[in-house]
Amino acid sequence: MTHYDWGSGAIVTPEEPKKKKNVQIIPAQTDLKRRAVNFVKGFDINLSPEQLEELENVVQRSTETFVRDVGKELMDCRKIVIGALGDKSKRPEAVAACGDLAYSVKALGGTFQYPLMTQIAKSMESFVADRTTANEKQLLVSQLHIDSLYVILASRVTGFGTTVEQATVAALTKLAERYELPRE
Amino acid sequence: MNAKIDFSKISFLIVDGDKISAQVVYDTLAYLGASHIQRVKKPNDAFDVLRREQIDIVVCEWRLRGMDGLEFLDVMRNSTNSPNRFIPVIMLTAHSEMKYVTTARDLGITEFLAKPFNAKALYSRLVSVIARPRRFINTGTYFGPDRRRRQVQFDGPDRREL
Repeated sequence: MTHYDWGSGAIVTPEEPKKKKNVQIIPAQTDLKRRAVNFVKGFDINLSPEQLEELENVVQRSTETFVRDVGKELMDCRKIVIGALGDKSKRPEAVAACGDLAYSVKALGGTFQYPLMTQIAKSMESFVADRTTANEKQLLVSQLHIDSLYVILASRVTGFGTTVEQATVAALTKLAERYELPRE
Repeated sequence: MNAKIDFSKISFLIVDGDKISAQVVYDTLAYLGASHIQRVKKPNDAFDVLRREQIDIVVCEWRLRGMDGLEFLDVMRNSTNSPNRFIPVIMLTAHSEMKYVTTARDLGITEFLAKPFNAKALYSRLVSVIARPRRFINTGTYFGPDRRRRQVQFDGPDRREL
């Protein structure tokens, strides 16, 4: 119902009272905490730098497997891409293979002290993302990414490399931007 | 005296199609003392394990064959066929952009871990899930752990009422 507001001198309509939202709050499940958190056995909640280092060493145990498996995947993918250059029907498969490889390397490179590989794989992943096929030049761009990844892995370039490696990453990203279209 | 976590009391399920990634998580959990760790590559196999065995924490990759990690999470949280709607899920993914984080959060993820990750990051997510459990919120559009994690001073009315 409207009324006269003496302060502003206007006829105002009061706002409808807001409906309360139906929200259910369920208390936290503390079963895991009760079972596992104690003061006697296990690992400190706040690990010391030494304990963290040991834990990191456990992660690094898989480095050799990473180098071996990714090396093989890079070679296999390169073969598929080269095969697709001369055969249009094989291109969707090549694009899918490049996408899988790029995601895998992007995800794991940095974990095993190969952040440069993660950078290149990121460029490759965005290049092949949402594509179902690629033209010849686009396949060549993918192949260049694969070759660069292989060189880094084979030469064991850990860390972010020197200015040369960083320039290579920048050049690959630029190349990917240049041949981005058409995106089919 | 420092509080400790006895990982041997907790069972884990790793859902990851990538052999190396799954192995890294497995090795880390095994080193921490976890004795019950299951590994599967596909979400459907994960559902089988979850229906068959007592699993406490799921560590799941976003990119999976068949059903992706988000669909898996959606079924876990919202389906009537879910084996356990409250199970903590740690999502591992190389999709670390903000849009992916918010999408996962709004589907009820417990913790998000961007790849490439290190041991410290994985450990902190495990501690958070085990030692700092969060309450669950059930609304018409969301079911999952409370997304309000920061304690911010607020003078207005509390609109989250029963």
